[in-house]
Amino acid sequence: MTHTLDRRAFCIAMGLIGLRAASTDARAEDGTIRLGIVAPMSGPNSRYGSFSLRGAQLAAKEINDAGGIGGRKITIISGDSQGTPVEGVSATRRLIDLDKADFIIGDVSSSVTLALQPVVEDAGVLLLNAASSNPKITYGAGAGGFKWTFRNYPTDENRALVVIQYAAEKKGFTKFAVLSVDTDYGRAAVEFTKKYLPRFKGQILTEDYYKEGEVDFRSVLAKIRDSGAQAIIMYGLADTTPIVARQMIEVGVAGKIPLIGNAEFNTESTIKAAPKALEGAIEAAAWLPAWDSPKSKAFVEKFKAEYHGEMPNNHAYVHWETVRLLAKAIEAAGSGDRAKVRDALSKIKYDSAMGEVTFDDHNQARLPMILLEIEGGKPVIKGAYSAEIDYPR
Amino acid sequence: MLTMIAEQIVNGIVSGSVYAIVAVGMTMIFGVLRAINFAHGEYYMLGTFGAWFAIEYLELPYPVAIVIGVAATAVIAVVVGQFVMQRIVGAPPETGVLATLGIALVLQNTVILVFGGGYKFFSGGYIEPVSIFGFTLAEQRVLIIIVCMLVFVGLELMVTYSRFGKAMRAVSQNIECCAVVGIDVPQVALRTFILGACLAALSGVLTAPVNVSVYGGMGEIITFKTLPVIIMGGLGNVRGTFFAAMILGIAESLVATYVGLQFRDTVGFATLMLVLMWRPHGLFSMQARF
Repeated sequence: MTHTLDRRAFCIAMGLIGLRAASTDARAEDGTIRLGIVAPMSGPNSRYGSFSLRGAQLAAKEINDAGGIGGRKITIISGDSQGTPVEGVSATRRLIDLDKADFIIGDVSSSVTLALQPVVEDAGVLLLNAASSNPKITYGAGAGGFKWTFRNYPTDENRALVVIQYAAEKKGFTKFAVLSVDTDYGRAAVEFTKKYLPRFKGQILTEDYYKEGEVDFRSVLAKIRDSGAQAIIMYGLADTTPIVARQMIEVGVAGKIPLIGNAEFNTESTIKAAPKALEGAIEAAAWLPAWDSPKSKAFVEKFKAEYHGEMPNNHAYVHWETVRLLAKAIEAAGSGDRAKVRDALSKIKYDSAMGEVTFDDHNQARLPMILLEIEGGKPVIKGAYSAEIDYPR
Repeated sequence: MLTMIAEQIVNGIVSGSVYAIVAVGMTMIFGVLRAINFAHGEYYMLGTFGAWFAIEYLELPYPVAIVIGVAATAVIAVVVGQFVMQRIVGAPPETGVLATLGIALVLQNTVILVFGGGYKFFSGGYIEPVSIFGFTLAEQRVLIIIVCMLVFVGLELMVTYSRFGKAMRAVSQNIECCAVVGIDVPQVALRTFILGACLAALSGVLTAPVNVSVYGGMGEIITFKTLPVIIMGGLGNVRGTFFAAMILGIAESLVATYVGLQFRDTVGFATLMLVLMWRPHGLFSMQARF
């Protein structure tokens, strides 16, 4: 008589085997420094995610090729936030619990980063933000609450002020229309613009926000065309800018009403999509390839060599720089212990391609914003501006 | 002031035409298969990807790319239709929902896996603006409106006079009687499905030049925008769908201008709620057909 395995027993046995297989400890065994990169790898922001990951991987490769940090190599693990807070938290949880990441660099979208802060605080994992610009992130960090969050990127408060100041003083614009992305980033940047507008005698005539993934701007652009606005304040997504630019030509505002703000106006392919619409665009960026410093230029060349001639964007640079910053902090701390690295980071004086970086008591790095204008199809840098942030008491 | 409103109405007619072509496919599929095709937007996306691929990698001109986009979608539709859609005929409605949702996920993510998650730039098409009655429109948009008219006239003729059209109407009325009379129901279902998917693909290819961005997830919002249109027009009602699509397009345009761009998407869903509450069989159907 053959014994057939009881179905229940079979399931239990498989379950136990599966559990055993999954519980292999991925950590200390391999001795590497495990760095999780949370970024939007799919969805409307995937362009940023792709550049962010590649910038980080380039930095890790450079450091590992030079022998690692105190002999230990960096392992980069990618997490896909899809640009939404829900998925971002899920990806971070996975990186912390399953992949045993000690340090996390993430996210690009401010909305996601804000959602990640309590998660890493709870787990005691260091979150180094490299690309989100909403000031709330560091209002609530360091002395403001979240001790495990640091940001190595300038904020929108500085950005909004720089843009509106240039537009009003150098260009004489007083009437603006708003067309920004409907996220924490887009809305907050416009809020800050409104805060500084009275100083420059400016006024906002129409205010519209577009959903990520929106493709039809004709109605809004026609409204803006007829409103008498002199410039369009746009804090938006890189992938949407070519669509808006094309439709600006259709509706008849190209060349008459410039775009000001930030949405990767300076990228070559965007300008090529509709040169007439982007002529005279004013942008405040944390970085662009044309920035003239030896370290920056060297980075551009290395990136192009590594990735088949593709030009890096802002996000590639900031993630590259931040991985290197983290490596320096780990070196200064003399160990991979998270608390020691965190302390080393708050005291660090790091020599970056944009100048010396130090963190203030809210774990915010002191960094300038580059102001550029598109002239003759090329971005021309008009200056770099810094500001000390006035934290709410 | 009047020209402003007129311009927005023209914008509305343009977006309405896009919705109309997509929606009529979905409503025909419902009429014959009794299944809401939740993957319908994905065929729109596949058509666009097919055309994009033809332009980027095969370096073919735009008109040829249109044909390739639609053809590629037709091939996929044959496969999906053969293995999935035909089995939905006569099955309980839940089957259709689950099956098409599953297909949507598979198609979306296969495309993202193959081509990557980033946005692609669609470089073909006639985007030069042309002036009509004082309104500037990209030539492509005029093309969309013309194609929409042709599609509906063609469908009207087909459904009324052609053998296939009559078979479609028969299947949508009573499947058992069709079997008695000798109509090959699975074949009709398959062909209707392919026709619907190709129409969606055609809409995608025609809109790609003005929407510029091509990415794997672009079909999802199309599916959700089309649902209010087909319910407003009456499920299975081709003529009703045309008018519903135009109404929705114009309403969206006016809301985007006078209320705010961020409220554009709410129009479709608000309309859906209102129609379901007061006239669930659709604005243009005399009584519920199902």
